[in-house]
Amino acid sequence: MRRKALLGIGALAVAGLLGGCAFGGGGTATSSTPEGPVTLTFQSLAYQDSTVAATKEIVDSWNADNPDIQVDLVQGSWDNVHDQLVTQFQGGTAPDIIHDESSDILGFANQGYLADIGPYLSDDVKSAVSDDVWETVTTSDGKIVAAPTLLQTYVAFANTDAFAAAGVEVPTGDELTWDDLQADAKQLTSGGNFGVGWGLKQPTAAVMNTALGFGGTFFDVSDDGSATISVGEPELAVPEKIHAMAYDDASLDPVTLTQSGSDVLPGFLGGKYAMYIGGNFLAQQITESAPDGFNWTVLPPLAGSDGPVQAANPQTMSVSAQSKYPEQAAKFIDYFMGADNQAKLAQGDWLIPTSSAARDVVAEQTADTPVWAPILATGEDLSGAPFQKASNYPQWKDQYATPGLQQYFANSISLDDLSKQLTDGWDSIG
Amino acid sequence: MTTEATRAMVSERETRAPKPPKTPRRKSLGNIGRGGREAWLLVLPALIPVVLFSVYPLVQGILLGFTDAKAGLGQVVTFNGVDNYVKLLGNELFWNSFRIGLIWAFGVTILQFFAALGLALLLNLDIKFRWLARTLALVPWAMPPVIIAIMWRLMLNPTYGPINGFLRAIGLPGDTNWLGDFSTALPAVIVVGVWAGMPQTTITLLAGLQNVSADLHEAAAIDGANALQRFWHITLPALRPVIVAITTLDLIWNFNSFALVYVLTAGGPGGQTMLPMLFAYNEAFRYGNFGYAAAMGNVMVVVIAAFLFFYLRSQARSRLS
Amino acid sequence: MTQAIASAGRGTRLTPSAKRTRRITRPLQYIALAAYVVFLGFPLLFLLITAFKTPQELQSPNPAFLPQQPNLDNFFAAIEKANLIQAAGNSLFVAVLTTVIVTVISLPAAYALARFRTMLRGIATGWILLSQVFPFILIIIPLFLVLKQIGLINNLFGLVLVYTVWSLPFALWMLQGYVSGVPIELEEAGSMDGASRIRVLRSIVLPLLAPGLVATSLFTFISSWNEFFFALVLIQDPSLQTLPLTLARFVGAEGQVQLGQLAAASLLATIPSLVFFALIQRRLTSGLTSGAVKG
Repeated sequence: MRRKALLGIGALAVAGLLGGCAFGGGGTATSSTPEGPVTLTFQSLAYQDSTVAATKEIVDSWNADNPDIQVDLVQGSWDNVHDQLVTQFQGGTAPDIIHDESSDILGFANQGYLADIGPYLSDDVKSAVSDDVWETVTTSDGKIVAAPTLLQTYVAFANTDAFAAAGVEVPTGDELTWDDLQADAKQLTSGGNFGVGWGLKQPTAAVMNTALGFGGTFFDVSDDGSATISVGEPELAVPEKIHAMAYDDASLDPVTLTQSGSDVLPGFLGGKYAMYIGGNFLAQQITESAPDGFNWTVLPPLAGSDGPVQAANPQTMSVSAQSKYPEQAAKFIDYFMGADNQAKLAQGDWLIPTSSAARDVVAEQTADTPVWAPILATGEDLSGAPFQKASNYPQWKDQYATPGLQQYFANSISLDDLSKQLTDGWDSIG
Repeated sequence: MTTEATRAMVSERETRAPKPPKTPRRKSLGNIGRGGREAWLLVLPALIPVVLFSVYPLVQGILLGFTDAKAGLGQVVTFNGVDNYVKLLGNELFWNSFRIGLIWAFGVTILQFFAALGLALLLNLDIKFRWLARTLALVPWAMPPVIIAIMWRLMLNPTYGPINGFLRAIGLPGDTNWLGDFSTALPAVIVVGVWAGMPQTTITLLAGLQNVSADLHEAAAIDGANALQRFWHITLPALRPVIVAITTLDLIWNFNSFALVYVLTAGGPGGQTMLPMLFAYNEAFRYGNFGYAAAMGNVMVVVIAAFLFFYLRSQARSRLS
Repeated sequence: MTQAIASAGRGTRLTPSAKRTRRITRPLQYIALAAYVVFLGFPLLFLLITAFKTPQELQSPNPAFLPQQPNLDNFFAAIEKANLIQAAGNSLFVAVLTTVIVTVISLPAAYALARFRTMLRGIATGWILLSQVFPFILIIIPLFLVLKQIGLINNLFGLVLVYTVWSLPFALWMLQGYVSGVPIELEEAGSMDGASRIRVLRSIVLPLLAPGLVATSLFTFISSWNEFFFALVLIQDPSLQTLPLTLARFVGAEGQVQLGQLAAASLLATIPSLVFFALIQRRLTSGLTSGAVKG
């Protein structure tokens, strides 16, 4: 009896201490009509010099045209954006305008932290982006919690001189199948040089995105964000191919599988790897640090049995539910989404705009840079993937998928073990 | 001279060692009543912030470990008894991280102890270039752990790091990705941990060494005891309290360390360096499970406290016997 | 006799056999010392070298050990890009303010703990030990909430408060060791001469405590300057970031790593405390030594 009472007091105390004040976050702010100019903070994650400059330019020109809605640009980092947002939302200090990516934000949306910006976006912006991509930023109850901006795809860069030296023809056309990639890599491997270097230190995103090319969807998601997993042949096709190239053919340097993309880059530029696979944004780094006389190109989109399809996991712009001025913030996002602005950003990062109008602008402006054409081409075949909607995806990715894939790529577990780890891991998170 | 005699001399020496005079201080305790009130007044400015911003949050943190607090707008927090702990029992990843934490803490503490003892013994000799080693031994302390981690990431980089460069130069395979490979990540991180913690341990041991009586060494040397014997029978017993203190502190600090490994590997590859603090941090600030993370903290405290209790008790006992 | 040996030093009265052993052990000792110097010093040297290399040199597959065209570009780029000046300013502000506050409030408390043996002493000792044992994860969440209520999240004063509270126990412990080292007779002699207590403390005790105060404040300064975890959680505004935070973020996302700039930034962030350290190194070693022995 007495113990119960004590427990009761304890519970009360805790509820009082925590519930009342703290864990409610900042409370939902209602939209209000401000008197005088408002200032909004925009936390941008742009990091390459060129994109940082482009972002600043866009903000400056907005501020000049809109004295009543001033935007204050602050710099965040892709590295810890998730942790930082958790803390910011919790502390009520989140920026008004939030830059992130779609697979990361739906969890926040489900927790109630993101505003519905659907009503504030203009028709031009809405129609420029395909429904497939809008799907990746829409909650199950139909709220649009972000505007999708730029897309990343995985592409193969090629050292054309190495191809010529090995007498291998540089692939052209609409697509490059994984089998052809494997065959070429084999021919390009000789004397301590490898056909492929692939910085797969963080393998999950690459595997999830490319699995779609074989019809690998991993998850079946219901409306509340809960999901069931199924890992089969289509899901594992890409990992199996990578493993075969690294350990059966020895045409992919296994050390690179433990490194980051930029760690592998010197090897590509130094001729150790004839091909270099990674996000298309790496093109910016190649142009910056390639030695004189280094000839390179981008190969056609990688294709599986379902064609050159990859998952669209666009960067996003959202408005915090705690923002006092969601309408004004959404207005800025609408401006940010304009074709010219997106084209500017896309070229800074070598990423693909979600907006078709912006893609046209990029195509026009980069007519003299031939490697842009295949990069833009990969953007035609992007579609939404279920994993973005699964609430526990970030945790599963950290705790099970990444370790499992890393172990498989280190050749320390079998494909069956991997499949079991991925499945059991998801079930244990629940 | 027999060992008994040496030991007798040690204890005699200990009693003779100059200590802060005790008698006068006793005298001042005469006015303890007034002193008590005065003491409270003097301590108050320190006490208030400590109670408000560390005792209070700490108590709340412990209580939080018995709730289901989660991230989310307008979440209601309820008390859920031992649910977190039941769930934690079945959480293989947490226990795995706990195991890694123990390997890390003991690995770093033990290696660091031997490395620091060796260095302290050298620094205690009259030897050239002692100043250089002494200055360098302090350097890691002047560097923030974040910078130590950045520096060692450069050192251990598989492509342009000098460690692999050196291995290649002497004809060994030099393409190991030290921090990225499953089998080398934890050992590599432990080496960095040893480097980072050298100053505190070395200085403390050096201070202890400087208090070991030189006369005793001379006497033993004249009696024909060799360096090893002297180290074993004179230095080590005299150093014992210092050793116990510093290894205990090192162990706690290492078990609770965060910044170094957060920047070095962030727990990767595949969770191989996921120290308990990192694990709990992720649980709280990545997945938003605040109550569950606090429960992990509680478990860590209990385990450390239990370990300390047994370690210190066994040391006290063996000192008495 | 004993004194004679002590004053003669250890080297002069060796037996012939001991001299022989010494001829073997001395080189071994130097080899060991060299190994320590390399282990402790090489990483720093490498950092220095990297900071002076161009990006092309760093990306080259067969890098030369020494920079071919040493220049300061990395330093300028790092200062501009990583916001180092602002971050250093924040770090300095937090560390200095913390040090001042900790010193001011721990001095009287340390005096009380050393001179009056009340139950406070036991409680303080217990807390000092406890504060080392608890993992920060237990404290940070509630602390975050407390600070949020009083509006000190994302605020340098909040950080000062946290650092003050968490470096206080250790500072207190060190300082009370130094106070115990000041003979109480001095105080008593002073008060017998008719000087007021305050004056005795100010003119007799305080000067004797100076080395101890230096060691304690250095310790506080360095732990606040280096601290990462609390800053990571409590500071979100980039303009308020401290140096460790800025640098950890500078490591950056995939594809971003610019090693030369990273090395330059790290070096710049270390130089102030290294210089500080070098200046008072001798004092520090003796201060720490006596503190450790008495504590």
